[in-house]
Amino acid sequence: MSDFSINREVKDGIAMIRVQGFLDAHTFEQLEEVIRAVYDEGCFKLVVDLARVDYISSAGAGVFIGARSESQENGGDVVLLNPTEGVKEVFELLGLTQIFKVAEDEAAAVAAF
Amino acid sequence: MIHREMVVPNDTEYLATVREEVTKVVEESAFSERDRKLIIVAVDEAVTNIMEHAYDNDLEGELDVELILEYDATRFEVTIRDSGKEFDPRTLHVPDVREHVKKGSKHGLGIFLIRQIMDEVNYNFIQGVRNELQMIKYVDRSRKPETDRSRN
Repeated sequence: MSDFSINREVKDGIAMIRVQGFLDAHTFEQLEEVIRAVYDEGCFKLVVDLARVDYISSAGAGVFIGARSESQENGGDVVLLNPTEGVKEVFELLGLTQIFKVAEDEAAAVAAF
Repeated sequence: MIHREMVVPNDTEYLATVREEVTKVVEESAFSERDRKLIIVAVDEAVTNIMEHAYDNDLEGELDVELILEYDATRFEVTIRDSGKEFDPRTLHVPDVREHVKKGSKHGLGIFLIRQIMDEVNYNFIQGVRNELQMIKYVDRSRKPETDRSRN
């Protein structure tokens, strides 16, 4: 079973959230809690590093849909950094590829706001 | 043909275990790498729906979800049986994803994914006994029988 972990760092008004492991119906609430904590600090610009997310289901994708909405309502946004092929495939099937900003490196992610 | 059966508790902690078992089966199938990964997603979504809808919270941990996985060269079939309350996932509203995103709705996309991935979704409820959800995917979708019971 994959260990699930999330690290976050807020710098210059942008939160870098690094996720590792399976993002499914069992783990998505942990990511929601981290995002909530970032919002509570008044930061609504999120970069979510998905390079080490081996698997995502609709529960995981739903976290980003909700976060995108709340971030944009508060002048921010959600940028997905380096999603794996598996994540891209699910986003493609859900029709989310065109909706989210996706960056291939941190500099591009920060510049996307 | 590979025929596997597993029983897992009604707990999302076991989703990874279910995916591992499905992975073992599809690895030996004729499906493309892409389709194998998508089949795993579809089974995960179906099991998640059952865990979220078929059982009341106070029964959590007391009832099981049963999986039977079968395939031959052209067909993958998964049957998920549970003894929770009647729940036909085909009755779930299939969302308009753009509207979903516009509203910031976080839930309800699982059935949409299942319908995108699987060729057939069949459901049977045996009164007082169990729900039975069957999903089928064909390597070559054109070989899907004309007389299936799917609403897909």
